[in-house]
Amino acid sequence: MSLQRATALVTARTAGGPGAVARPLGVAALAAAAVTYIAAVDPNAPGHYPGCPFLALTGWYCPGCGSLRAVHALAHGHLGEALARNPLTVLTVPVLVWIWVEWTWRQVTGRRRERALPAWVIWAWLGVVVAFWVLRNLPGFGWLSPA
Amino acid sequence: MSDYGAPPPPAYGAMPPGQPPAGSPPPNYLVWSILTTVFCCLPLGIVSIVFAAQVNSKWAAGDYAGAQASSTKARQFAMWSAIVGAAIIVLYVIFLIIISVAATNNQ
Repeated sequence: MSLQRATALVTARTAGGPGAVARPLGVAALAAAAVTYIAAVDPNAPGHYPGCPFLALTGWYCPGCGSLRAVHALAHGHLGEALARNPLTVLTVPVLVWIWVEWTWRQVTGRRRERALPAWVIWAWLGVVVAFWVLRNLPGFGWLSPA
Repeated sequence: MSDYGAPPPPAYGAMPPGQPPAGSPPPNYLVWSILTTVFCCLPLGIVSIVFAAQVNSKWAAGDYAGAQASSTKARQFAMWSAIVGAAIIVLYVIFLIIISVAATNNQ
């Protein structure tokens, strides 16, 4: 099967059909499995996970550095520790949950997406990610760095 | 009778020829760009955020064809980010296996 076709199948609309809820449930199950694994296998211990390739190549932190440790801390209910490792990850979790809820709702009701997020929200998100990327590598912004 | 206060005529000229595709904005794959930038640490994710924003910008401006084109680009970059991310993880696991095999052989 070609890559194009595979993607088309994955993104095909199944809204309204009997399997409409199956995909959100599948994604939720995958996410739960991933979080359970990260909660059980401690990313603070060396050798458990691959390190960041960007950090290895450049010596700089990327916006995702510390996200495994942040998820691990969140799964154990340690919000402060999670914020210290990667505040962007902590911010992202409720956004991802919201996107999932909205998607599930559309799948259940069979409604089409009629509104688009205002573009400035996405540009602002881009700005936050880039600013975070730069700042967490600068002296004086240790609270943004994953270390 | 004056035209003061009359609503401006609809801007037909602003619409591209052809019907806009039935009310539904093209997907911007924003969720993939979020996942790849925050959980996969990939600069490619930044590119897919740019295309996601373009989809919504162009759609809001009435440029439906442009929005569709940006949507296609966003999908390509999201796909490649996911593929590169998976490849890095697989390569790393292979690397770990080779290291551990080499270590046991040296003992």
